[in-house]
Amino acid sequence: MNAFKLWYHKLGSPPYFYVFAGYIQPWLWTIALALAAAGLYGGLVLAPPDYQQGDAFRIIFVHVPAAWMSLFVYGVMAVSAFIAVVWRPKMAEVLAMESASIGAAFTLIALVTGSLWGRPTWGTYWTWDARLTSELVLLFIYLGVIGLYHAFEDPRQGARAASFLAVVGAVNLPIVHYSVVWWNTLHQGTTVRYFGPSSIAPSMLWPLLAMTIAAKFYYGASLMGRARVSLLSLERGKDWVAEIVRKEPAHG
Amino acid sequence: MSAVGLADGFRAMLQRDLLLAWRRRGDALLPVLYAVIVATLFPFALGPEHALLARISGGVVLVTVLLAMLLSLDAVFRGDLDDGALEQMVLSPQPLALLVAARLLAYWLVTALPLIVVAPLLAYMLGLERAAQPVLLLALLLATALLALIGTVLTALTVGTRRSGMLLALMLLPLAVPIVIFAAGAVGAAQQGLPWVAPVAWLAAALALALVLAPLACATALRIALDS
Repeated sequence: MNAFKLWYHKLGSPPYFYVFAGYIQPWLWTIALALAAAGLYGGLVLAPPDYQQGDAFRIIFVHVPAAWMSLFVYGVMAVSAFIAVVWRPKMAEVLAMESASIGAAFTLIALVTGSLWGRPTWGTYWTWDARLTSELVLLFIYLGVIGLYHAFEDPRQGARAASFLAVVGAVNLPIVHYSVVWWNTLHQGTTVRYFGPSSIAPSMLWPLLAMTIAAKFYYGASLMGRARVSLLSLERGKDWVAEIVRKEPAHG
Repeated sequence: MSAVGLADGFRAMLQRDLLLAWRRRGDALLPVLYAVIVATLFPFALGPEHALLARISGGVVLVTVLLAMLLSLDAVFRGDLDDGALEQMVLSPQPLALLVAARLLAYWLVTALPLIVVAPLLAYMLGLERAAQPVLLLALLLATALLALIGTVLTALTVGTRRSGMLLALMLLPLAVPIVIFAAGAVGAAQQGLPWVAPVAWLAAALALALVLAPLACATALRIALDS
């Protein structure tokens, strides 16, 4: 067994993961905050106002990363949920369930900032546009996963059931998206492309990318923190948790 | 113990479920009554103007049928869970997916079919054009089967929980969105005299996929929910 494979399997053990997550968490936070500070400064101060939308466009530096993250987190959740359903490792369950809450938060942020932006630009807070509607449906899928997880008394059983729902939702998500597109479309087309020139000014692009990467690192940091707390709660009967509690100085 | 074939298992399960439903045939009328009541409320809320009611009639009937089915989904496995028959289904030599498929067929026959029978009446009362009626029936036939298939998977997941009604609605909504869009799209197109085959074909394609996958997914979900 090579070193990477060994490390990967070690990561599946809760005590090892707890220590590892605690070690990388401050680094993730530092990178996330530094990139977010740079991105926000670049986006809110340095970037020029849009010739059509004025200063209203600046909300994209929060809105677009949040919207991208809402899908990215779902992807991560679906993959770990699939692993949780098929091979049943405890860590995959924990990561999938903790991702659900973070993903729901990103989806909510994307919806709220989007509607705040829609008011001055489209003249309405809400419209039944394809992208808005699929984002709303995505939020419902997240809430369904979280709700199902908490409906069970045994958290591991709840995690397995909710993981299964997350996998079903992953199959459903593209179907919802394309059926809603077929139904109605108003949202502006995509302006950032991986290949070929993006139709967005470079002075607006780099803060956006910085914010996007900051959001990824924030997700990582938040996931590590949440997973550690969840592990302590799930494994509260185990020796390694008792060891940590004994070492920890008593609070209040 | 004599070996029981797959077809025998399926038939026995279907027979038992239909017999149970027949013994309590009043229960099957409740979703129908519910649909009639909900559909009757719309004219009171929106006013008796014929043009408006006719325009929304297809959508109202579809959503009403969906809600009536949602109301009854909770009970698909409830009785069997309470008396332990569900564990026997899991332990039986026949594949669980096959028995679940029989249960699904019985559920659809008992719950969805009466709703489909009463749907044209509701649509007529709301003023749906006669030309769109067959399309509505066709869309309902496909949409209710799809909803039953998908809904049972979700119901199976919530079998191990208490108070699952509201949760089921939250879980089913995202999955029901495409079904409602295509079914209502077909009826809307027929109302305007446009071609309506494409959305119906999409529904039929989804049904073909769900017919194969949903019983398997449902069996997996049941195993997850019962495993404790």
